[in-house]
Amino acid sequence: MAARFGPGDPVLVRAAEKPGHVRTPEYVKGKTGRVEEVLGVFEDPEILAYGGSGPPEEPLYKVSFRQIDLWEGYAGSANDALYVDIYEHWLEPAREEAR
Amino acid sequence: MTRVHDLGGSSDAGPIDRSQHDIEDWERLADAVTIVLDKKGVKTTDEHRRAIESLAPELYEKLGYYERWIAATELLLVEKGILTPKEIDAKATELEEI
Amino acid sequence: MSDTHYDDGQTHGHSHDGVKPSTEARYYAGRIRAIEALLVDKGVLAKEDVRRQIEYMEARTPANGARMVARAWVDPEYKILLLSDTKAAAQELGIDASGPVEFVTLENTPEVHNLVVCTLCSCYPRAILGVPPDWYKSFDYRSRAVNGPRAVMREFGLEIPEDVHVAVHDSSADVRYMVLPMRPPGTKSMGEDELAGLVTRDCLIGTSIPRSVE
Repeated sequence: MAARFGPGDPVLVRAAEKPGHVRTPEYVKGKTGRVEEVLGVFEDPEILAYGGSGPPEEPLYKVSFRQIDLWEGYAGSANDALYVDIYEHWLEPAREEAR
Repeated sequence: MTRVHDLGGSSDAGPIDRSQHDIEDWERLADAVTIVLDKKGVKTTDEHRRAIESLAPELYEKLGYYERWIAATELLLVEKGILTPKEIDAKATELEEI
Repeated sequence: MSDTHYDDGQTHGHSHDGVKPSTEARYYAGRIRAIEALLVDKGVLAKEDVRRQIEYMEARTPANGARMVARAWVDPEYKILLLSDTKAAAQELGIDASGPVEFVTLENTPEVHNLVVCTLCSCYPRAILGVPPDWYKSFDYRSRAVNGPRAVMREFGLEIPEDVHVAVHDSSADVRYMVLPMRPPGTKSMGEDELAGLVTRDCLIGTSIPRSVE
């Protein structure tokens, strides 16, 4: 399955409220980050968690966020980053925001 | 709404307790049984995590790490029809009396 | 979205760390013993399986990671392998980390210091390093490593200069992370075993760095 995103792409994490098992932490929902790496394809844990299995596998991405974008009053360097591994169906393309 | 296990950035946090407790035999047993069941394909890591996350928030916060694992393991074994709560009750009572 | 309120003296913390046995320990200990006995009776697993798994975990310790780091410090080709295929790098040193989980090693540089956490549960490179310490699994570490990594590291006695970027990695999916710390100054004449001795478990998670030898 072709990866929708590639390294360098700005991405927005969907702000969806989903019941059930989710591996996208709340603190990145609705936030914009950047794809650093395509980590491979994996089965969706949201389905595996209920005994489902199998394809389609989907790409998993290492996504970087600037800490100052995630936390108000972040105490640290403006260059500090946070990396989260996020499944493709949680990501949408984002416009690179002007800074 | 943030679920109880989704702790990143939680405002309830305080200083980190850096002490280490000696792992007890029953904790080692909980770890091993969980992993063996995984290796045998009886239950998966994803199911295990989901089961832990499904614990009532008060219970999640009250229990120790391996206690949550044991609760999750029991939940899944019952869900899959492998064991029943009654037989676990009975066996636990029997073993206690030894 | 939770707000942060550290550094104002008002944090309450959790009533316990979320890890240590609680007042319910006896009940749950009884439960798992009963479960094991029943599963053995029903042929779902054997006592031998459990014994072997306990042995497997006891054989895994941070010393494995320390050996991999020391080798990477002295052997540039091994370092390339460690950073590109951590599982294979472990195998090369006789450390069996086979299984469905992926491992990635994060290199510390003069520009970047890495810190690893799993906010959603407590994922950790167990097949290489063994069981994680209590603090790594604690509610407080899982909460604060992401939004206050420098304060967390300060609690461990590690101050990262402002001009070094802190990179926090939340192990939210199927990848487990281990840190490759920088080789400290004054260690040129040290052999591999001695170098490995400088690499503590906390260095492999990111809450410490190997001490300098001057």
